Amino acid sequence: MQRSVFSLSLSPSVKRKLVNAGFQFTNDLLHLKPVQLSKEATLSQLEALEVLQAVRKEGGGGDAGASSSLTALDLLQKEQDLRRIVTFSSQLDAALGGGLPVGKTTEICGAPGVGKTQLCLQLAVDVQVPQCFGGIGGQVVYIDTEGSFLLQRVVDIATAAVQHCSLLVEDDEQRVAMTTFTVETILSNTFLVRCHDYVELLAELHLLPDFLSDHPRVRLLVIDSVAFPFRQHFEDLSQRTRLLNGLAQQLIAMATSHNMAVLMTNQMTTRLRGGQSQQVPALGETWGHAPTSRLLLHWAGSRRLAAIFKSPDHTGATVQYQITSEGFRDIDQSEQTHTVQSTASQRDTGH
Amino acid sequence: MATRKLKRAGVSDDMCEQLKRHQIESCKDLLSLSPVEVMNVAELSSRRASELLQSVSRAVAPPVTTALELWRQHSCFSTSLPALDRLLGGGLSRGTLTEVTGPSGCGKTQMCLMLSVLATLPKSRGGLDSGVIYIDTESAFSAKRLVEIAQSRFPDHFGCRERALQMAGRVHVFRELTCQNVLNRLDRLEEDIISTGAGLIILDSVASVVRKEFDTTLPGNLMHRSNMLSHEASTLKYLAHQFNIPVVLTNQITTHLGGQGSEGGSGFVTAALGNTWSHSVNTRLIVQYVDARQRQILIAKSPVAPFAVLNYTIEKQGICMDGQGALYEGTDPGLQPIRVQTEFNYNQTEPMDRTEQTQQ
Repeated sequence: MQRSVFSLSLSPSVKRKLVNAGFQFTNDLLHLKPVQLSKEATLSQLEALEVLQAVRKEGGGGDAGASSSLTALDLLQKEQDLRRIVTFSSQLDAALGGGLPVGKTTEICGAPGVGKTQLCLQLAVDVQVPQCFGGIGGQVVYIDTEGSFLLQRVVDIATAAVQHCSLLVEDDEQRVAMTTFTVETILSNTFLVRCHDYVELLAELHLLPDFLSDHPRVRLLVIDSVAFPFRQHFEDLSQRTRLLNGLAQQLIAMATSHNMAVLMTNQMTTRLRGGQSQQVPALGETWGHAPTSRLLLHWAGSRRLAAIFKSPDHTGATVQYQITSEGFRDIDQSEQTHTVQSTASQRDTGH
Repeated sequence: MATRKLKRAGVSDDMCEQLKRHQIESCKDLLSLSPVEVMNVAELSSRRASELLQSVSRAVAPPVTTALELWRQHSCFSTSLPALDRLLGGGLSRGTLTEVTGPSGCGKTQMCLMLSVLATLPKSRGGLDSGVIYIDTESAFSAKRLVEIAQSRFPDHFGCRERALQMAGRVHVFRELTCQNVLNRLDRLEEDIISTGAGLIILDSVASVVRKEFDTTLPGNLMHRSNMLSHEASTLKYLAHQFNIPVVLTNQITTHLGGQGSEGGSGFVTAALGNTWSHSVNTRLIVQYVDARQRQILIAKSPVAPFAVLNYTIEKQGICMDGQGALYEGTDPGLQPIRVQTEFNYNQTEPMDRTEQTQQ
């Protein structure tokens, strides 16, 4: 495989020195030792080592391909091992295929006040439900860019979740688990960061991999919202798109490598299309590719509906939900039949 | 914080020089680059470049706290209206933006004046024992009324005139009548908060200057307006969080024409400034008319409270509430219809109110 040294991820000055010393392709470098290379190309020994490591990393993919590729069967087993975070709304869980997928990125879009933050807070509590209750017993990192993380509300939701679980206790294991599942521990397992602008958000994301290594139990990252810091201070929209793309990649990488769910919220914006104004998720078309799944919360009169409109493995579904004093819940049974009909009509007229 | 120079972020002098050649001087400039771009401008390998990014990030990134730590120092700013406090989980949350929106003459400014009085009260009486920054864009602030509310609401505390005047001395009013002035004021507000020891910021109103100066029918203006508004919102949020104080804003109403409303076709009155702005406020309270005397306050958007409606009247002592309030079926806070005055039409000054008959 002929590969130019220019394609390696090295600094330009190092590359220049390599070429000057006659190294055109990565093959030329394969069998060299660092000290030899540093003499030949007048690089420092450290630089030479980095060059060789870069070459080996690039070349390694081809030789050792068999061990790094996975069959779909492996992936299937892996995906089944990944637990999901339940939302406490059985209808939404069903629509999502069992809850919020761990290891994937999910975006919630919606009108102001429809319940985006509520769903985030609910999931931040739910991710901590102990395993013996069907939860995953994780921790959560919550990046708040809007200042809408209200502790009072978290305490309400946490209290309700603890009470719900305490009613389910049947065996000793669950009784033991309940001693460590209290409002206090829920709060202490919630790591909160308040970012005021996009620079702080980007900086935080650079540091997050280290934080996650130190806190291996983190299973959920919430960013509420991505939209707010990125909808201001941008004269140059192409720069914004570029930064958002980088951010999306970082998030996907973190979700996969640290085995956690990434949940972000987005605002809605008005777009004019053929004289008709329409509500669409903000941050542009390209951003739409970033999250694995997208969930749209919207109003239909005084009812709140959640629609899945991007998902790799589930067909679109619309469910009705409500926000109670306890958190994000299904609507009452009595209203359910009524919903099924109205959701059908809602989808026809949909967005 | 983000405009911090790289030198002070622990970047070596050589590297600063190198980056300066590419016009990269602050942390913000560097963090706006992709890792590949950083490699190019800094002439570093990818590992070194990511180390550089990490160390700069460390200088900029806000600290991580647990919710438990925050909960231990949690407190609210009581509105002195028990029913409203109970629904909002103790009062207005510190560090957040609360918007009061409604038709003219319905009590928005009264609410602001009352909150100003409350903030100056000693902590033992449920106040904040602090100064107030009051940015008045409509010239609606009345010092006389402020003292009147104080004296009639807390006759025992403000019995002697001395104390009432002292209270008035702690309310710092800035009269800013154009958008640019408001923005300039907000940019400098940090200094004012420190020097006056303010524990509450009031902006009455966000809407008036913006709506006066931006004709949204002209192309481009709407975007310009929403950029300006989100700049205002983010400045206020920053201040609210840094000083851990509540911010109260007032907004006007507008006629929403047709479209998504469940009534279909005809227009109705709703909060002004559009959808993006509605995202920006953390809590939205709507005040509206019931009849000539009775008014209502709706909790239309709140991370804590359910949709609720409370009746109140405006008395000599400010806003008085009777009853415990009831829940109502809420809808999109950007589209929540607002009832305006229907009986005394000659009182109305704003032309938009002509469409109010479409309300039931």
